[in-house]
Amino acid sequence: MAFFRRQPQSEQLKIVIIGAGEVGFHIAGRLSRENKQVVVIDQNTDALRRVTDAMDVQAVQGSGSSPSVLSEAGADEADIVLAVTDSDETNIIACLFANAIAPDAVKLARIRNEEYTLYHDALRGDALRISMLINPEVEVVRTIDRILSVPGAVEYGEFAGGRIKMAGIRVEEGPLVGQKLMRFREIVGEGAIMVAAIVREERLIIPTGADVIRQGDIVYFVYDEGTRPALLASLAREERIIRHALIVGGGNIGLRLARLFERKGYHTKLVDRDAARCTHLAEQLDTTLVLHGDGTDQALLREENVAGMDVVVAVTGDEETNILSCLLAKSMGAAQTVTRVNKAEYQPLVRAIGIEHSVSPRLSAVNSILHFVRQGKVLSSISVRGDEAEAMEAVAQAHSAIVGKPVSQLDFPSGALLLAVLRGDDVFIPRGDTVIRPQDRIIILSTRQAVSRVEQALMVSLKSF
Amino acid sequence: MHARTVCHAVGALLCCLAASMAVPLGVGLWYGDAGVWPLFHSLWATGLAGSLLMLGWRRGRDWSLNHREGIAIVALGWLVAGVAGGAPYVLAGICGWTDALFESVSGFTTTGASILTDIEAVAPSLLFWRSFTHWLGGMGIIVLSLAVLPFLGVGGMQLYRAEVPGPTPDKLKPRIKDTAAVLWQVYLLLTLAQTGLLWAGGMNLFDASTHTFATLATGGFSTRNASVGYYDSPFIQWTITIFMFLAGANFALHFKVLQGRPGALLRDAEFRFYAVLVAGATLVIAAGLYSGHYADAESSLRAAAFQVVSICTTTGFATADYEVWPHLAQGLLLFFMFLGGCAGSTGGGLKCMRVMVLLRLAHQELFRLVHPRAVRHLKLGGRTVPPDVVSGVVGFFVLYVSVFAGVGIILTALGMDVLTAFSATASCLGNVGPAFGSLGPTENYAHLPGLAKWLLSLCMLLGRLEIYTILVLFLPEYWRR
Repeated sequence: MAFFRRQPQSEQLKIVIIGAGEVGFHIAGRLSRENKQVVVIDQNTDALRRVTDAMDVQAVQGSGSSPSVLSEAGADEADIVLAVTDSDETNIIACLFANAIAPDAVKLARIRNEEYTLYHDALRGDALRISMLINPEVEVVRTIDRILSVPGAVEYGEFAGGRIKMAGIRVEEGPLVGQKLMRFREIVGEGAIMVAAIVREERLIIPTGADVIRQGDIVYFVYDEGTRPALLASLAREERIIRHALIVGGGNIGLRLARLFERKGYHTKLVDRDAARCTHLAEQLDTTLVLHGDGTDQALLREENVAGMDVVVAVTGDEETNILSCLLAKSMGAAQTVTRVNKAEYQPLVRAIGIEHSVSPRLSAVNSILHFVRQGKVLSSISVRGDEAEAMEAVAQAHSAIVGKPVSQLDFPSGALLLAVLRGDDVFIPRGDTVIRPQDRIIILSTRQAVSRVEQALMVSLKSF
Repeated sequence: MHARTVCHAVGALLCCLAASMAVPLGVGLWYGDAGVWPLFHSLWATGLAGSLLMLGWRRGRDWSLNHREGIAIVALGWLVAGVAGGAPYVLAGICGWTDALFESVSGFTTTGASILTDIEAVAPSLLFWRSFTHWLGGMGIIVLSLAVLPFLGVGGMQLYRAEVPGPTPDKLKPRIKDTAAVLWQVYLLLTLAQTGLLWAGGMNLFDASTHTFATLATGGFSTRNASVGYYDSPFIQWTITIFMFLAGANFALHFKVLQGRPGALLRDAEFRFYAVLVAGATLVIAAGLYSGHYADAESSLRAAAFQVVSICTTTGFATADYEVWPHLAQGLLLFFMFLGGCAGSTGGGLKCMRVMVLLRLAHQELFRLVHPRAVRHLKLGGRTVPPDVVSGVVGFFVLYVSVFAGVGIILTALGMDVLTAFSATASCLGNVGPAFGSLGPTENYAHLPGLAKWLLSLCMLLGRLEIYTILVLFLPEYWRR
């Protein structure tokens, strides 16, 4: 009697998430809203209750590194196993048993210890077959790097190996302010550039020609490198070259960031409160000036000429220190600041109190994991406005629904927008009569409600497999 | 609390209910009986009320359900279902609103207590509706809506928890919609199987399907005045006994068995407890019946098994008048009215799982007197029961007994004798149906005073929604923002 053995819904991915902490919570939330089958494993019943109260997922109580708990969670049917607890060792062991129970499942482990990361080949090997290691500290350094690369950008990401870029920029002034989007081309020119979305008063707008850009909006642009000057001109922003940087907090993230800044040739100063840690940092770093002191100490900041800094990044483990030192630096004349804020709940608040850029290691990790989950159909993706929408890059498959018809005749889900096409070396903005060809790379913006339908539209119909 | 969310969801529920009235309406059209117009009017009125509620309070972008809305939707949903379900009886002129509500609530809560004196005189379509309310209420009108209405998925766990019986409802599938769908699939499969067997056993299709509805929902409405006793066929009686027994077990276990894991049944501690108790009581009562009441062993065993299973699973069918049985048999049956089926079944009562937790708790307290320093966990089937579940079970038991005592005393104040009053309260609170005294298996509830009917209807709702969901509405803190 195998009546109920397996449901034939092949499009419903089954994902087992081990660890219901901040990372697990947010990934589970995102995936469950996209109609995926999500099972969350954690030892802590309170953490599990928080998950089951907020979203439609199955919760299993137990240790994720225990094979019996994994079987109970149905790991044998899982397509993807995400091990994202706080403990590297638990994550590796969980992947070991997941590999034994479900050899076909794709596995991802959150690993913070650099030692392990360096030996990814060993973990990728037959014993574990972990497809991806994710280190929140590395991810957040990448995020900071991306934000700093475009002036005024709140969010920034790249598609097609850097050929197409997307940036969410806060509009303060310039010729675009107060104009309808119909007149966008007159102002910016005929290049490969397009408005993907507007965020106004914390709400996402999928724009039409009649929408007006207002001061204070965060506008998401999709563009290629050639149109960058025109874009910055239309927003009255100048290319800002970073020469001097100050990092507050010399933990793992601060150290990684300092190394990155060194490579980029910035004059970097790093402040840390712990004398022993400072000695260690000074040993590790070459050109960076390591200072022993408090990031919220006004005298120290003045002494070290914070007014002349092009960027101040506060990445200590303590949110209050980060926020205070950034506010202080800003008021003392620093050009821009980046603040590490761990709790996702604080993100909307951060803008209200005047912090320009906030980053969170966990949210950065969540975004990277989501890109990974989308692998296959979707090459990469960038979230817009927390998680209300997502920009996805995909290769148009020969038999999928979007190929071979003019764009205006496509049965595209509402809430989704075709932003850009990369054909060979050409980047262009699709018009009504554009026909998408197989192997084109396309960038699509989709609200989170429409994500699953967009994924379906991108899928090759099952018969052709 | 968002009144808008609640109104919208209750409206959706009413629309589902209106759609389900089309089934008995079809039966009425087939027989061309007197139930057609009452059912038709109830259908459009329910549908209209539902659509007005749905369209009047549209769900906005910020659709969400938390504990409070979940409780309100389930409680209110069951109340309006009771009213809508009673409308056909009033429109057909069978009885007044008090009786109609009693009958309808008794149907949805799968109690099976009836106010009809001559069942066979009622139009077939209305009898079908009466049994159909059992079937809808058995697995749960909310669980059904969860499977059909996709927008309830977000926050659906709150609704699921408020309706599904048992201290800790499990999810069988990662998504609540799939869980609800799987439960209904199992339910439907059992329904088809039993209807087929009863039909093959000599019932006509109408009786086979209505009795199946009442069996699997552990309801107890029959379409015959003499209940199942009308059919003097051992095959039919054994079939109904077995399916009642299955309906009193956890449906999650049935799902596992259908998945190809038959061992799951025997490994489950609650199921073993349930099976052993039922078998033990059957043997004891059968022995008593064999010495004086029945001629042969098979018929004593059959009568005993049927009545034990019927009362224990809180179905309430009857093949014999157990009030003339030995006192020991009556005592055991009265005890089984409190026990009920397993958690996650369609049965009512305290549920085996809770009784097991309470017994273990009592044992642990005794044990602690001997070993004051012992560190022991309360375990069930090898798993530790979390302390908040234990305290939830204790609280449930206290409330259950308090309601039983309170309502029973009020009923005696209304002039009912002690045995009738308390057994009727136990029977309605446990969703059983027949009681003792003047409410035995051969009598009905028609002669009770109006207030008693209202109180007993409330007891049925309290029992079906596991006390907490309804009682919390009477808590002032619930209404404070």
